[in-house]
Amino acid sequence: MAEPIDVGAEYGSAVDDYLTRAYDGDRCRALLSAGGWDAGLAAELAELGWHGLAVPERHGGLGAPLSSLGPVFTALGRHLAVGPMLENTLLPAVLHPHWTIAPALAAAVETGVPVALVDPGITDDRTADVGAMTLHDQRLSGAVEAVRFAGQASLLAVVAATEAGEVVCFVDPTTPGVRIDSVDSADPATAFARVALDDVRADGAAPADGGELVARIRSWARLLIACELSGVADHALDRTVTYIGQREQFGQPIGSFQAVKHIAADMYAQATGLRNLCTASLADATDASTADLAVLAWTAKAHAAEVAVRVCEDAVQLHGGMGFTTESDVSACYLRTLALRSWYGDATELQLRIGAALLDRV
Amino acid sequence: MTVQPPSAPTESLDAFRTRARAWLAAADIPEVPRDIDSRFATLRQWQKTLFEAGWVGIAWSKQAGGQGLSHLHHLVFVGELARAGAPQPIGLIGLEVVGPSIDRYGTDWQRHELLPRLLSGDDIWCQGFSEPNAGSDLASLRTRAVADGDEFLVSGQKIWTSWAHLSHWCALLVRTDTSVRKQAGISYLLVDMTSPGITTRPITQMTGDREFCEVFFDDVRVPRANLLGGVNEGWAIATHTLGSERAGATLRRRVECEVALDEALDHLRAARGSSSDDRATAAVGRAHVAMRVLDAQTRQTTARLVADTGPTPMDSVDKLLLTDVEQIVFAEIAALLGPLRAVPGARARGLLSQRWAYEHLYSRAASIYGGSSQIQRTIIAERLMGLPRG
Repeated sequence: MAEPIDVGAEYGSAVDDYLTRAYDGDRCRALLSAGGWDAGLAAELAELGWHGLAVPERHGGLGAPLSSLGPVFTALGRHLAVGPMLENTLLPAVLHPHWTIAPALAAAVETGVPVALVDPGITDDRTADVGAMTLHDQRLSGAVEAVRFAGQASLLAVVAATEAGEVVCFVDPTTPGVRIDSVDSADPATAFARVALDDVRADGAAPADGGELVARIRSWARLLIACELSGVADHALDRTVTYIGQREQFGQPIGSFQAVKHIAADMYAQATGLRNLCTASLADATDASTADLAVLAWTAKAHAAEVAVRVCEDAVQLHGGMGFTTESDVSACYLRTLALRSWYGDATELQLRIGAALLDRV
Repeated sequence: MTVQPPSAPTESLDAFRTRARAWLAAADIPEVPRDIDSRFATLRQWQKTLFEAGWVGIAWSKQAGGQGLSHLHHLVFVGELARAGAPQPIGLIGLEVVGPSIDRYGTDWQRHELLPRLLSGDDIWCQGFSEPNAGSDLASLRTRAVADGDEFLVSGQKIWTSWAHLSHWCALLVRTDTSVRKQAGISYLLVDMTSPGITTRPITQMTGDREFCEVFFDDVRVPRANLLGGVNEGWAIATHTLGSERAGATLRRRVECEVALDEALDHLRAARGSSSDDRATAAVGRAHVAMRVLDAQTRQTTARLVADTGPTPMDSVDKLLLTDVEQIVFAEIAALLGPLRAVPGARARGLLSQRWAYEHLYSRAASIYGGSSQIQRTIIAERLMGLPRG
C-alpha cells in the first residue's frame, strides 16, 4: 500500500492562496462569462511559474513529479479557474524531450500562450462524431471537432493514427493546410475550436512507441481532470453548506430540515470519497506501469465524472431557484462539471474499459 | 488497552504477514457448514485453533491475554484469513466489542475471570443492546434492572442479538434509572446466559440464516459483581466501544469485499473464455471503481487508527461510503446471475447463484446495522458540517 501522503500538497495550497487573493470574486465571475480564455490570466500564471512545476530542472522547471500537479488541479477546480492549465502544465512536462523540435512548448511555460492537444481520443464513444487524424509519410490529415484552446495556441500537438500505433506530431498552426475555426463553448472555463488538417506536413513527431506516450498523456489528463472535478465538487459543497445555514424558510435555516441535511451529508461523504480517491490514485500513479496507470486513471476519472455531477446537481437543488441562475456559483460549477465529465470519458465509457482490462488480466 | 512496554521490539508487518501466511497455508481450514448449530460448533473450534496458535487478540495487550501487537497487525491477519478463504473466529462480538470494554472498564475479577475464556472461544458472547422499540434511538431502551441486595433483577426484551441461543454470556444494556436523561440511566451488565429466566427465540433472516435472536429476560438475577463500570455509566461504555471498533470493522469488511470481488472475477474470467460479455464488463468496471473508492477511503481510516485518534464523526463518512460500496459491488455481481438467481444451485457466467445472492442480500443489511445510513447522515450534517440541529 502506498503511503497516504498528499504528494504536492504544498503546491496546491500555494495555488489556493494565490487564487483566493487574486482571482476569487468579481474577477472569477467576469472571466467565467468571457468565453473561457483570458490572455492576461494565462500570462500571469506563467509569470508565477505554475506551468513549469513538472518540467525538468534542466529546462528551467521545478522538476516536481507529475503527481504533484494533482493538488494544483484540485485547487484550480475549487476556484473555477479559467484557461489552458492542463495543456500548459502537462504537455511541456511530458513532451520535454521534444522541446528542441517544438520550442513553443517552452514558450507555453514562459508566456502562457497555449499548446493545444488535438486528440480524437477524448472519447471511445461514437468516435466518428469527434473526428479522426492520420499520419502518412510525415503528412497529417483529418479533423477534430472539439479542441481546447486551439484558437489561441502557438503549437498543435496532434495525436495521429499510424500503422505502428498512435503518435504525437507537432504542427505550427500557421502552416498552410491547417484550418482552425473557433466554435462556441458551453464550458465556462474553456475555449474550443474545430481543427482540420489537410495534408499538412508535421514539423516533427515523437518517435513511434506503440502508443505509449499517447497513453501516458491521456492517463495523466484523466487523473488531473479527476482532481479538478474533485475541486469543483468541493467548491459546490462549500457554497451549499454556507447557503443552507443562512437561508431561512418557515422561520429557520433550511439546513436544519432533515430532508435538506441528508442531501448535504451525502454531498459531503461523496466529495470526501472523491478527494481521497484522487489522493490515493496520485500516490499509486508514481510507480505504476503504463497499463496500471491507465486503469488507475480510468478509475479516478470515472468516479470523478459521476460524483462531481451528482454533487453539483444536489448543490443546484439545495440553492433552489438561485441555483438555476448564473448569479450563483453553483450553476457555473455544474456547467464546468458537465463539460469535464465526458472529456476523456465519462463513468459509463470508462467502466467498460476497466471491466475489459480486468477480465482480460490473467 | 494497555500499551506494551517500549522495550519490546515489535514484529514488522511484513514478517508478521509472512508468518501468518505460512501458518494458514499449513492450517486445516474448516469448511463452514450451513446448519446453524454445526456452523457455530465448527467456528468455535476454529477460534480455539487460532487462539492456541496465537492469532486471537493480536492487538490486545499481553496482560489481557493478547499478543501485544498493533491494530495494523490485526488487520493484516484479518486480510490473510480472508485471502486464505478461512472464516473469521466466531466470537467477534466478544473480541471486537465486549472484550475491549471489559479490559478498559472491568474489575480485576471481571478481567481475570472472563477475558481468557472470551479469547479462547470457550465463552462466546452476544450483545444485548437493541430492543424492539430501541433501534436507532438506542438510548430509549427499557429493559429494566432493579437492585435487590447483591443482585440486580432484570426484566425485558432484546432483539437482533446474534447467536444468543448458543452464546454463554451476554453484554446487556439495562435501564437502572428512569428519572434522569435517557442516556444517564443506563447500566452495562455481564449476564451468564444459563441464568434462570432467560429465553431465546431465533429469527430467520432473509438470507436464510438464523443467527439473530430475540432474548427475553424474566426476573433474571444478575450478581452485582457483574456490573461493568458504575451504575448508570453504561451508555458511555457502550458508545465508546462501539465507536472505537467501527474503524476496525470497516477495514475488515473492506478486505472481505475485496476478496469476494476477486473471487467473482476469477469465476467470470474462467467462464467467459474468449467471448465478450458487455454486461459483465460494465458490472466489473463499476464494481472495481467502487472498490477503489473504499480502498482510498480506508487509507485515511488506517492512518487514524495508527494515530489512535479514537472515535470521530469521520467514522460516519467511512460507514456511509462502505455501505454504498458494498451494496454496489454485490448488486452488480448478483445482477449478472440473471434469472438463475432464483435457482440457488445453478451457475450463471460461472458464478454460483446461492453464493452471490447471499452476499447481495447480506449487503442490504449494511445500511441498517451499526447505525443506519440515516443516522450517519445526521451525524455528518450536524457534527462535521455544522448544520443546525433540527
